[in-house]
Amino acid sequence: MVTIISKIELEGTDNLKYTDVGYTDDQAIINQINEDYDATLGKFLGENRTKLEIGEVSVSTFFESTSYVNEARATVEDVSDLGLTEITNINEL
Amino acid sequence: MSAPVSVNTYNANPTPGNNFYQFSFNVASGSNRLLILQLTMANTVGYSGCTYDGVAMTQLHSTNRGGLSQRMAFFYLQNPNTGNNTLRINFGNNQWNPISIHARYFTGSGGIGNEGRTGAQSTPNTQSLTVSQDSRIMGTACSVNSISTIQIPQGDNRTFATHNTNRQVGTGAISASSGLSAGTYNIRTSSTSGSVTNDRVEILGLASTPSTDDADFFMILE
Repeated sequence: MVTIISKIELEGTDNLKYTDVGYTDDQAIINQINEDYDATLGKFLGENRTKLEIGEVSVSTFFESTSYVNEARATVEDVSDLGLTEITNINEL
Repeated sequence: MSAPVSVNTYNANPTPGNNFYQFSFNVASGSNRLLILQLTMANTVGYSGCTYDGVAMTQLHSTNRGGLSQRMAFFYLQNPNTGNNTLRINFGNNQWNPISIHARYFTGSGGIGNEGRTGAQSTPNTQSLTVSQDSRIMGTACSVNSISTIQIPQGDNRTFATHNTNRQVGTGAISASSGLSAGTYNIRTSSTSGSVTNDRVEILGLASTPSTDDADFFMILE
């Protein structure tokens, strides 16, 4: 099993867009990416789910100060042919 | 005369923030291919279909678990196109809650057989499923509390992915690769406390596929 690293950014005015940008099996990298996600976009989504559903809050608000966030929680057995590079240093992202 | 072989899996727990979520999934070559997809998410939004490489997947079920405020679903596609293609899950509206996704691809499968779905009951929740020779069984569980075990069959703890969809989900559990003998088996799910669901699906092996080469043969002599 390897972990896919996804880049999450704003799509249009009010949606999220996921793009796979690499993979890793380095647990330290995975933890750091997900801690950053949980403290930023994850926190925003958690605090605003209901308001996002009814259109009272737009996710674009979050991206006014951030262009993108990474998340590393998807796992796959076979990473071959996905065209992704292995990330061994978080600064490569 | 063989059990289905699991070749590739994908597990994820994203917040789609859109009216779809998609990812790349590699289906390598092999005969009698079967692609399956287990989903769980908040029931404020429904599923409106799934595709792999643009081909619609068949919906086995989409079950509203009102007590858990979740909708659980199972989609499949026999003989999906091979290669690194996009698996897309469509929703009726934007989904701002996390979704539990488990995709798995088999070779040597005759398709989907029997299935059973049981809503939340006091843990442990033990239910039966009758299967054909060489089949395997997949299980999913959902609870307010953490999923402790998924046993397929009962007594055989299987590994599973744990996801948080505002409820706790155990997904991707599957019986041993050797396949099962034809018969009826108990599938047991458990959570740390409270109640837990029990959904189970038979993945057919090739022995279960209707044969086309053993039909009666008639010769007419005149």
